[in-house]
Amino acid sequence: MRLLHLLLAGVVLAGSASAAGAQTMSYAQAGALLAKSCGPDIGRFCSNVNLGGGALVGCMNQKLSQVSEACKRDYAIATASIAKRDAAQDSIAEVCSADTARLCPGMIPQDGNLLSCLLQATKVVSAACNQAITDAGYR
Amino acid sequence: MTSPLVRLALAAALTLAAGSASAQTALSDNQILSGLQGLTDKAPTITAQQLRDMVQRHMAENPGEALNRTSLALHLDKLPQINVQIQFRLNSAIIEPSSYRTIGAIADAMHNPILHGYKFIVTGNTDVTGPRERNLQLSQQRADAVVNALVTVFNVNPTRLDAVGLGEEVLLDPKRPTDPVNRRVQIFTVGRVQPGSAAR
Repeated sequence: MRLLHLLLAGVVLAGSASAAGAQTMSYAQAGALLAKSCGPDIGRFCSNVNLGGGALVGCMNQKLSQVSEACKRDYAIATASIAKRDAAQDSIAEVCSADTARLCPGMIPQDGNLLSCLLQATKVVSAACNQAITDAGYR
Repeated sequence: MTSPLVRLALAAALTLAAGSASAQTALSDNQILSGLQGLTDKAPTITAQQLRDMVQRHMAENPGEALNRTSLALHLDKLPQINVQIQFRLNSAIIEPSSYRTIGAIADAMHNPILHGYKFIVTGNTDVTGPRERNLQLSQQRADAVVNALVTVFNVNPTRLDAVGLGEEVLLDPKRPTDPVNRRVQIFTVGRVQPGSAAR
């Protein structure tokens, strides 16, 4: 729970400081950031615990007082970016529905053609839809 | 099916995202995406269970020394696929932090609209060093670990992924069965998600 609070605080900080208007990072960049900032601590405290399923976070939580500030900070930034990008990807169908009906009628979101159409129409697409496409990492 | 524009746009986005890429990934982010796309109707259908059965049959029919055995041919060349090197701890399924970026890059490709509607099989492979049964078990654990990370850290929908350990049976370089190049994670694009389930 302590880690969660800390992380939430970190998310809020990251949100107010930089992430509000900034682009989300790719999942690859998020992974690289975690490795860079938390890799040494993971090797030291939790080398027998795997990344997935919350196991690693649970282990690091146990060692929180010894985990570096850089790791705590960048973990919050990376997970917030992953969540933001994920939410944006999920939201495109809804946020862009009016733009889709107006500019790209009949296209379905499944094969990338709809996104291609919306990207071509960027100048006349609504600000909310454009922002969702940006946050989704699709631009 | 995808328009050139979106391919170009996504390629550009992924190339930019790859700015911090290091030599640890043999594949670029772009190669991961292009390697996994383009499944056609002519491609064979395959399930995780069929792959496991093929491995069991191959092991039963090919006992004996590892260096003299033939490698199992999956005959899946027509499926879109990639081979990636993921670093695991020695004799363990723990993913090294140095490979977190690669796992994220695979997730980027799976979240790309071009691959939205598709399902994948993630396979684990070892070289022939060590006991055969142990290698089979370890490769399954490693494939499971990759899928688990993709699902729980990078939000890939679990209904799109299966994990299969192929052990030491499917060598990338059958002429050099002990070469570390054979240790790899291979991912196949195997079909479309059921229509209407809207899986990402």
